[in-house]
Amino acid sequence: MFDDSIKLPSYLDHPPEVAEYFSEVEKRKVVLSIEHLGREFASADGPLVALKDVNFKVRQREFISVIGPSGCGKSTLIRIVAGLEEPSSGIVAVDGIPVTGPGADRGMVFQNYTLFPWLTVRKNVLFGPRMKGLRDDKASKAADEWLKLVGLSDFAELYPAQLSGGMKQRVAIARALANDPRILLMDEPFGALDAQTRASMQAHLLRIWQAADVTVLFITHDLEEAIYLSDRIVVLGARPGRILEIIDVPVPRPRSLEQFLSGHFLATKKRLEDLIHRCDSPLEGEGELEHG
Amino acid sequence: MSSPSKFAPSAPQTGEPLARLLGVRKPLDARARFWVGVLAFALPFLSWCAVSYVPFIWHPQVLVSSAGDTKVTGEYSYVAEGDTVDLDVFVMRNRELAAAHAKLAEGKRVNPIYLQAPHEVARAMYTAFTTAPERTGDAWLHESLLQSCKVIFWGFFWSALFGVPLGILCGTFPFFARLFEPFVDFVRYMPAPVFGALMVTVLGLADEPKIAIIFIGTFFQMVLIVSNTTRSVDASLLHAAQTLGANKRQLVWHVVVPGALPGLYRDMRILIGWAWTYLVVAELIGEKSGLSAFIYQQQRYRHFDNVYAAIVIIGVVGLCVDQFLAMLARYLFPWETGQNKLFRVMRAMRRALPQRVLARI
Repeated sequence: MFDDSIKLPSYLDHPPEVAEYFSEVEKRKVVLSIEHLGREFASADGPLVALKDVNFKVRQREFISVIGPSGCGKSTLIRIVAGLEEPSSGIVAVDGIPVTGPGADRGMVFQNYTLFPWLTVRKNVLFGPRMKGLRDDKASKAADEWLKLVGLSDFAELYPAQLSGGMKQRVAIARALANDPRILLMDEPFGALDAQTRASMQAHLLRIWQAADVTVLFITHDLEEAIYLSDRIVVLGARPGRILEIIDVPVPRPRSLEQFLSGHFLATKKRLEDLIHRCDSPLEGEGELEHG
Repeated sequence: MSSPSKFAPSAPQTGEPLARLLGVRKPLDARARFWVGVLAFALPFLSWCAVSYVPFIWHPQVLVSSAGDTKVTGEYSYVAEGDTVDLDVFVMRNRELAAAHAKLAEGKRVNPIYLQAPHEVARAMYTAFTTAPERTGDAWLHESLLQSCKVIFWGFFWSALFGVPLGILCGTFPFFARLFEPFVDFVRYMPAPVFGALMVTVLGLADEPKIAIIFIGTFFQMVLIVSNTTRSVDASLLHAAQTLGANKRQLVWHVVVPGALPGLYRDMRILIGWAWTYLVVAELIGEKSGLSAFIYQQQRYRHFDNVYAAIVIIGVVGLCVDQFLAMLARYLFPWETGQNKLFRVMRAMRRALPQRVLARI
């Protein structure tokens, strides 16, 4: 799909402001570390390897995407980080403390919204604080602040069933953030939305991320979404699910829709396409990978 | 905009009224819904009226008003004044009389006694309440009705008091499901009435064995239905709550229970209907009581108008209770219907906004 006559920069070639940004990020504290993570499922044909030797670190206020073809285990990965599934081997640690189960330090936003239908929007956002026993005005005010940030102040008294998909997902984000998590896990959060809503939600998420002090681990299968949002992209291959490459996105911030046509953006997209396409076609798959 | 019609509000549906009424999975409009609903009751009622009041429809018997010449002997000479005989018997008798050139019998075609006309049942619905029972000591109709409601209430109360918590427990913890459900499933297949004699022996002749039968009839079904409804609470809600820091106790009280509640309420509405079914059996064991005893008694006196009146009263009480519970549900579970005041305002606002703005929300 790319015209070879157009000369693209290398995706490894970082503009100075991007290089500076990454060297600054390197100095930050590690929030999430994943070491030698493996996950096997028992199946009729013997053990099925969903994840194999996955290693990466996420630093404070970083926005990391995990991308890969379907069946590469990216959902399994985020569910293990959330503590909803157990790894077969390896360690997931938040602030150096190994994860043993789900907890409030890792807020999660799911693809299918998962708002509590019996609670109003405000009470959904207050769910986390209430589980901690915070029932005072301060918690309530904080919830209102989060609703304001996601632009839903006027909808606080509605029930989830009365909201559109995009609005529901914004409530889910506010609900996760109101709990003050160390890292926000997002499992294909915009996958169920239509294209227009999706685009506005991406812009919205970037604004929220900039306004709030939050680290994000974001799962998606949409290449442009990953480039548009992330600092770094972890590319997973399928069968077994393992890291093919971790790409430092060379597109400067603040991001805008115009950048979708910039050389750095297109070069990154082409690289992602090559990696994932190679993964999908078994004929040239494994052999080429050995060289990479 | 090159194609404004795309965003214009859809034009009111036109077309043949009948074609609109009989659309494949097309919802009826509000007015049609109402009138077709009325028809649902009107049609059976009108057929009942037709059979009762139009002389040539059915009416298989003849009420003899004059037996004609009773001196004429014959196979059918037993036909006497005031009798109700089959139509063909009446016709044969008149043939005998005609052959003897005697005075013919006269009569009016009637329906059998078990088919009472609407006005008779309507009258009975009033007079059954105001007429003293034929045997002193028997219950009046309103006493029977109250008695039945009391038995239903207590039977269902005890059943729900134990069945709902046990069902929720089974639906939440696979351990308890495995511990209780196999046995419950086994008992469920035993028809509740077979415990009748046993219950009378253990609990005596009064209300207790009747309440026990209703309990047995509903409790075991309830445990299984409640546990299934509890299990149907979306697992992803549990996951979401866990990532928000909910502990085990909070998961049960703040997610499983509220999540299952509307479904459990619907289950209870259905199970109350079952309780009425078991009532009829329960009331006839030990000392007969309640509406079933009344119906049994009236049937023996061949007061079929009263029998119908009592049956209709059971239907009306059941319908009223169910409609009341349905109405209550709208207030108890506003998130199910989404019909709070604010929502209506918001919906009106959304409709007023142009589509292009809406897409961005």
